[in-house]
Order: sequence, then C-alpha cells, then structure tokens
Amino acid sequence: MSETVGPPKIFDRALLRRRLSRALTKGAPDFLMKRAGDDLLDRLLTVKREFPRSLDLGSPSAHFSEAVVASGRAPPLRASGFGGAAIIDEEVPPFAPGSFDLIVSGMALQWVNDLPGVLAQARRMLAPDGLLLACLVGGASLVELRAALAQAEEEITGGASPRVSPFVDVRDMGALLQRAGFALPVADVDSFTLRYDSMFALMGDLRAMGAANVLAKRARRPLRRDVVARAAQIYAERFSDAGGRVRATFEIVWASGWAPHESQQKPAKRGSATMRLEDAMKSARESDA
Amino acid sequence: MTDEREPGAEKLESGEPTRIDPRLLEILVCPLTKTTLEYDSARQELISRSARLAYPIRDGIPIMLPEEARQID
Repeated sequence: MSETVGPPKIFDRALLRRRLSRALTKGAPDFLMKRAGDDLLDRLLTVKREFPRSLDLGSPSAHFSEAVVASGRAPPLRASGFGGAAIIDEEVPPFAPGSFDLIVSGMALQWVNDLPGVLAQARRMLAPDGLLLACLVGGASLVELRAALAQAEEEITGGASPRVSPFVDVRDMGALLQRAGFALPVADVDSFTLRYDSMFALMGDLRAMGAANVLAKRARRPLRRDVVARAAQIYAERFSDAGGRVRATFEIVWASGWAPHESQQKPAKRGSATMRLEDAMKSARESDA
Repeated sequence: MTDEREPGAEKLESGEPTRIDPRLLEILVCPLTKTTLEYDSARQELISRSARLAYPIRDGIPIMLPEEARQID
C-alpha cells in the first residue's frame, strides 16, 4: 500500500542473502558453477578483446572470476550479497556508468525481482563496446520436482502453493537483452539431466546450495512430512530410470550482449541501398557459377 | 596509488589494511540514486546526500545495501 511502485517482489532478497551466506560457509555443492565456469572460459576464449576492467556480479563462487583470469584477463572485481570487494544487492548495483569493460555473472540473476531493470543497469555500467556474459537458472529446471510436489500437495491438502522458483525462459532472454539496450544480443541454453538416488537427495543438494524456497509469497509453513513423502513416491514413479535412480533436469540460460558502440555491425538504414536486390542476387549467382 | 595513510583512520592491530581500495572508491555510486558518494574516512562511511543514507565500510569492504545503511538528515 505504501510500497513504492515497481516490479512485483517475487523473491525475498534478504532471506536469499542469509541462505546463500550460510550455504557458502558450509561448503555448498558447486556443480552448477563449475559447469558454468568452464563454459564461460570457452566463451571468453572466443572473444578477441582485452577487458582491463571487469566485474563479477553476484556469482556465488569464485569459478567465474577464475575463468576470467584463465582466459588471460585481469582478475575481476567481485561484488555480491555475501562476499567480495563490495557487498551489494544485484538488484541495485552501486557502480558508476561506464565503469567496466566486461561484466560476468553466474547463477545469481535468477533471483532478482526486476531482471529487465538489472540488465539495463548492467548495460549502463559498461563502457561502450563492453560485454555482458551472464548465466542463470532457466525455466525448465526442476520440472520433475515442481510436478511431484504440486501433485502430492494437491492430493493431500487439496491445494498447491509455489515451492520452486519461477525461472526465465530462454526464448524471452534475447528480447530482454534488446529491451535493456544491448547490441548483438544472444541467448542460448545448456540443458542437462542429473541423476539422484531419490528426491530427498536432490532436495538436500538444493538446500545445501542455499537454493531452497525464497519466494516472497512462499507458504510460511514448511512442507508437511506426508506431502514430501508422497512427492518422493510420485517422483520415483514418474521420473526414474530403469536402475531406480531419479532424473532431475537443469537448465542454464546464457545471455550475452554488448554495450552499443559505433564500430559494431548493425543493419543498414532503410532505403540506404545503392544497388537493387535483384541485381545483387544476379551477380551473386553469376559469381557462384 | 600511495602508501600514505591518514592517522587514526583505521585499525592496524592485525597489520591488515582495512582501508577501502581507492580504485573501488572511484567507481562506487549510491545504489538507489546512482549519484556520487562522499567518503567519510573517520566514520568509515560512504554518504549519499541524495538518498540521505550512509553506507558503512567494514574492514575495508563497503556494504552497499540500503537496508544496512544509516539514515542521515
């Protein structure tokens, strides 16, 4: 009511920061960051450019900063909600326009309430021709867990409340980048399936990663034990392999875009052609022959 | 960069520098208003006049979270 107008608060960011700090001091499973870090290194190696000033925005482990260094660039400034050279909220990063040539961010932006706003801020923090390379948890992640929990809760309590965060769809990411003012926006997805002994093992991993439910409108009461037990049964029935292990889908959505600069390729202005398309096609055909 | 330090601006018991990195100071702005900050080295705070908030610096690390900042007049 007296809340300021803005995007809906989907995630409880303060709760998330506490969860992540706790998870990280205990030593969280880092398979997602490891995989994403290797991928980031590959991506950086294909870019022939120096990035003297870079920022690692919100990544929960050092894998992204290490990938930047491994690609032959200077170590990034690390800033996140729980550690680094500055403690920040990725939702409102405190950096002046044009401060960086490269911004990398791994597995952090799935929990911001206003992703378009954060992308626009990131673009402004980049110098012209600066690069954003970010990845986040994608929308098809944990489909099995979502389905099993919803079905179990529905069966037992007659209703379902959201237990797994909504995540961004790769199909929306390109448009979001464009809307935030990035040139040459590219979005792609890395999907993979992991196998667990049971749904409990998967949930244990998620909790240890600090990735338990941080929805602002989460049900305040924890999941009932009978619901969890039923969900584990459903999970095993619907999503297990012949060997009895259960599948869990993960999806990492990658986003990259450049802060606009004159040197970048862009479509020519309408009506600026100096040759008829037909003639161009003809000469192309002739040179092929 | 310089090695000169203002006396009394920091604790040096452990021998570890607790001073904020000057390069970081140059690029930090208020997270809410994106305006420049004043550095109060005695109180170890970064002051945003436009948001009327003072962000604390702890052990050389600026805490740029609005909810951790001190309200000022």
